[in-house]
Parts: sequence; C-alpha cells; structure tokens
Amino acid sequence: MVRIEHCFVCSGPVYPGHGITFVRNDSKVFKFCRSKCHKSFKLKRNPRKIKWTKSYRKSRGKEMAVDSTFDFEKRRNRPVKYDRDLMMQTLEAMKKVEKIRTAREERFYRRRMRDVKQLEKTRARNEIVRNIDLVAPAASKQRQTTNVVEKAQAKLDKAKSAAMDVQ
Amino acid sequence: MANRVQFENNNEVGVFARLTNSYALVCQGSSEGFYSVFESELADQIPVIHASVAGCRFLGRVCVGNRNGLLLPNSCSDRELQHIRNALPDRVVVQRVEERLSALGNCIATNDHVALVHTDLDRETEDIIADVLGVEVFRQTIAGNALVGSYCVFTNQGGMVHPKTTTEDLEELSSLLQVPLVAGTVNRGSDVLGAGLIANDWSAFCGADTTSTELSVIESIYKLDGTMGGPSRPGAAVGASAATSAGPSSAGQSKTQGSVSADIRASLIDTMT
Repeated sequence: MVRIEHCFVCSGPVYPGHGITFVRNDSKVFKFCRSKCHKSFKLKRNPRKIKWTKSYRKSRGKEMAVDSTFDFEKRRNRPVKYDRDLMMQTLEAMKKVEKIRTAREERFYRRRMRDVKQLEKTRARNEIVRNIDLVAPAASKQRQTTNVVEKAQAKLDKAKSAAMDVQ
Repeated sequence: MANRVQFENNNEVGVFARLTNSYALVCQGSSEGFYSVFESELADQIPVIHASVAGCRFLGRVCVGNRNGLLLPNSCSDRELQHIRNALPDRVVVQRVEERLSALGNCIATNDHVALVHTDLDRETEDIIADVLGVEVFRQTIAGNALVGSYCVFTNQGGMVHPKTTTEDLEELSSLLQVPLVAGTVNRGSDVLGAGLIANDWSAFCGADTTSTELSVIESIYKLDGTMGGPSRPGAAVGASAATSAGPSSAGQSKTQGSVSADIRASLIDTMT
C-alpha cells in the first residue's frame, strides 16, 4: 500500500508507478506527476507564478485557500492504535467532511462570481461609449437593411390578402 | 546472561534487531532461528515482534528507542508504522521523525534517562527525542567519531564504548550518563559495538564470534549475572542466570572496573597477535 503523493508543481495526485521523484542532496523529496511538471521544475519556475497550478490559484484567491476542512489531510507521524470503531467513525466523518468542503467551495465560488455579471455589463457599456464612432455607421446600416426587409414583407402580406379577397 | 547469536551467518546482530526494556524488534527474514533466540529469552517479559523499516532488514540501525518510546526514520512507510504501533504496548509512544540523518540507530544512543546524539542532528529532532523518549539529550562524539549509536551501547546499568576512547573521554561520558563505562570490543575485536551487541537491563545478545573474554566484560559491565545488585528481570526468577561465578559485592565495584579494563586489554592483545 503506497501513499498517493502530491505533485510539487501542480499539486495534483501522483499515483504509485506514475511520475518522477527527485531527491535533493539535503534529502528533500520532490514528486512530479508528469514530465510537464518536471520540466517546469527544471526550468526553475515558481509554481506560484504558473497560471495552471493549484498554488497559483490559491495564492491569487481564485480558490479557497484557508479552511478548517483542509486540516484533516496531512502526514501524521504519530500513529494511533488500530480501533475498528474509530476507523468506522473516521470513514463516516470523511464523507461528511467532503460534503462540507464542496459546499464551502461552491459558496466561495458564488461569492467570488457575485458581482461579475454587473461588472461585465458596465465594462461592455463603457467600451461602446468609448468607441461609438466605430460602431455607429455599421449600426445604422444594419437598421436600414432591417427596414428594407420589413417593408418587403409588408408588401408581400398586402398582396396576399388582396388575392384572398378576390377569391 | 549474554547470548551469542547469528543472523543468516552474519555476526552483526545489532543491525537486525532493536532491544529495549519494554519491547524487542526483530527484522523479518529467512532466519527464524534468530527470532526464536530472542523469543525464548525475552517473550515472558516483553513483546518480541517482527518488523521492517522501508521494506528493509537493517531495522536496528535506523530506529532507536527506550522504555518510553520508539523513533522511526522518514523512510518508514505508513503501514510499517501502523504495524509497529499496533504490536507495541500502549504506553510506548511511536513516532516518525523528519530527519536528514535517517540512520537514527547510528546517530543516537540512549538508555531510559540519557541520550547521546550525533553533533549534526536537527534541533527539532533533538526536541522530539527529549519529548518522546523522556531523556536528557547531549551532543557528543565517541573517540572522535560522530556516530555515537554505532560506537557505544549503554543501558541503565552500564555501557561499552569504542576501544580507542581516551580515559578522559571515558570519564566525561561516564559522568554525563551516570553509569559505569568501559572501552571494549565485540565479535573478536570489532570496534563497531552498536552492530555487534544489543543489550537491555537484564539481557544482552552479541555476535557469535565474540570471545569469552569479551563476553565476560559484557556480562560484568551490564551486570547480567544478576548478583551485583542490578535489577532482576521483571516478574521472573534470576536463579538460572546466576550460573557465572559469584560476582563481587557492589562495594568492590571500582575494583571490578579495574579487572574489566585488564580483561579488555587482554582481549585486544589477543586480537592483535
């Protein structure tokens, strides 16, 4: 039974038999989930500055970073004696914790996205106001064409109704 | 009574087992005879369990413990840690330490009250040792060698150190540890005591090459003949082990030490010639 480690760069899971392990000569161990992450490390990139990593998203406040539900998952150096009841309770608790965590993450996302709609709208409006002289000729042209189509349609309808009357 | 044992024709028994006053760990291997020696000697008093660290057999060199606790290196897997935890008594604290020097058995030597540690050991590890093993920690070298766990073995009764330790060092260490010490060898002149010898307060095991002179030194310094006012094994009679010559009284202890060093000198001369 081998532990599922975390990738040093992207924080994704590293399953047994996957990825690469690098041990620095001060005995610190780095795990990488794929060659992409390993290469980033060799290029001395800082995971906090690579946009696709978990640590970037967390450090930029794009994902929940500080929460008590994260405290459950850690390396424990002092084990407790096996106890069947305790184990059962733990397994139950794990499910509950998972549920709470996803709920909190969703709430975090909603809160982060709350003002985005409004913001986008104002941004679009500002842009139109700023560049109205670019947009205006095209818009008027579009209006003209729609007018032409409407007139033609009206004419057709009129002709049809006249024909009906004749019958 | 000290025993001579071998592990798969190898005399470095301290590599394959770890013995303390409240438990004994023996490595998993094809040599079940090795385990049975420990079992027959100790199973009445303390649990003797099979264990491995990082899937390897060099258990005695990578873990260190005493009556109160057991420290395991970073390379020890979760499952091995859990197995050891389940097999040991509740009052023994089992802890894994994040230490760069992962051969803890070579870097730390301890009894139930004092520990000598390697000079380069982390400060956090030092704190953990003091906390888990309940000991006072001293950074020391033995005969100019930082691997204290390899070059000395001491219990609450006494201890042996590298044969080239100077008399001043010996006295300093002895006052630090508060137990009588002697410079000596095992396995016919081997100076790596930690590998050749394992001991607790009432029993000792050494490699099969150990000469009778060396054995007598071991028995007298660890007070294994049961007649020198040392502690008897917990909950068992000591009569059988008192087969050796009637030991001198505790009043003549300094005299014994003199004779011990004479013995050790004789054994050294034996080895040289």
